[in-house]
Amino acid sequence: MELIVFILYPLAFIGVRFIIPALLVHGSLIVLSALQFGRIPLIGTRDTLGFLAWAIGAVFLVFGWNRKRGAFTLLTVALILLFLAGSAMSPVMRGPLPPVLRTIWFELHVLLSFLSYAFFGLAAIFGILYLRDEAPQNEREQYRCALLGYVLFSVAMIFGGIWAHLAWGTYWLWTPKELWTTIIWFFYSLYLHARLVRGWSGRPVAWMGIAGFLIVLFTYVGVGLLMKSSHEF
Amino acid sequence: MKNFFLSLKTTVWTLLALICVFFLGSYLMPAYREVHGGMNDRLLFQWVEESAADHPWATSWFFLSLAGLVLLTINTLLCSYHAVKGKWSREDFLLRIAPQVVHIGFLFILLAHLLGAGWGYRLSGALPVERSAKLPDDRVLSLDDLRPQIDDRGYLRDWTAEISIYENDRRVASGLLGPNHPLFYKGMGVYLKSFDQERPVAYLMVNKDPGAIWALVGAALFMLGSGIILALKWKKA
Repeated sequence: MELIVFILYPLAFIGVRFIIPALLVHGSLIVLSALQFGRIPLIGTRDTLGFLAWAIGAVFLVFGWNRKRGAFTLLTVALILLFLAGSAMSPVMRGPLPPVLRTIWFELHVLLSFLSYAFFGLAAIFGILYLRDEAPQNEREQYRCALLGYVLFSVAMIFGGIWAHLAWGTYWLWTPKELWTTIIWFFYSLYLHARLVRGWSGRPVAWMGIAGFLIVLFTYVGVGLLMKSSHEF
Repeated sequence: MKNFFLSLKTTVWTLLALICVFFLGSYLMPAYREVHGGMNDRLLFQWVEESAADHPWATSWFFLSLAGLVLLTINTLLCSYHAVKGKWSREDFLLRIAPQVVHIGFLFILLAHLLGAGWGYRLSGALPVERSAKLPDDRVLSLDDLRPQIDDRGYLRDWTAEISIYENDRRVASGLLGPNHPLFYKGMGVYLKSFDQERPVAYLMVNKDPGAIWALVGAALFMLGSGIILALKWKKA
């Protein structure tokens, strides 16, 4: 079934709206996985990369609805396929959730985190487009994606804090992963403020939108691999 | 000097400096594990007094981040004050007030960290079934029962511990603890960290964090302000 998704996503090269079949099939697979294992399908690298690919596709559909195919489609579909490939190569995590993860706060925390990552991913793509043609529309779209991603990410952090307070008696733990999560939050706070400062707006801010997503990816994958933390990924 | 604290450039450069300092911290934390090990086990001010002060290089990132946050707090307060003073019009009320609500939310969260770092307590230890332990504020905690739940395949599915809290030999609270289910009593939380069914012993944590409520207030304000900004910007776009 995963192979079908790989074939369906490139249909977006015909037109942005042709991504809808891929989103429907991929979304159904995610729901089926949730039903099969009786848990939120956002545990481990396989689940989360797959969901991130789907979320980027969904955000692409919203922001690209009135756009013609072009570099925007090419970059986004390439990103989706990259994450899908990563997901397909990762091991399947079967079985129910550990008791500490069985709470709505955890589910909202990861769901909103990965949704915000999808917005940050699109913000990076709009940044690349802006650096290429300096079209004000791409800068505006980058800002909208980054703002929405920032708000969702902040809410995800708040829900994570509530969960941590109920699970471990503290809404904040001093670990490298938490520091990097705060780095993401500071970085996008910086992006939103720098946009208003002369000398920073324009190309520097577009670069920041790209760098922000690289920080997100490092926090998601790199920190988990390189540094011990309360987070598995 | 006033202009420095009021400047948006100060915000930008301070945030950039904080990012660099946290980056340094994420490297120094695992490199000096023995120094940073106690950060989560006791009050932060206790850790500063007992460990951090003796290892200035390993914990330099922490003190630099404190300095950065102090500067950011002053900058946020002054910028917000500057933004709200002056004439108001009905048209731009929400657009002017929403970022300040976000700022206040952020400051409340910082205040919460400050209160949690210096006041309250954090205790943990093993407590056998049908035994009790003394707590601050003349309270006693008793572990009445420990119940692991095993599924059909023999895997541990869940676990609960039944506890009671006494004040002056009078039971004032009781309930079941489990994963994500602490028991709260007058601002104090009792948490079941893990257990050993063989002995049988529960590893409990008792925590009082006077900052937690302010963190929640700050989070609510932050979400409210962000939501308004998002709605207004979307409408404008």
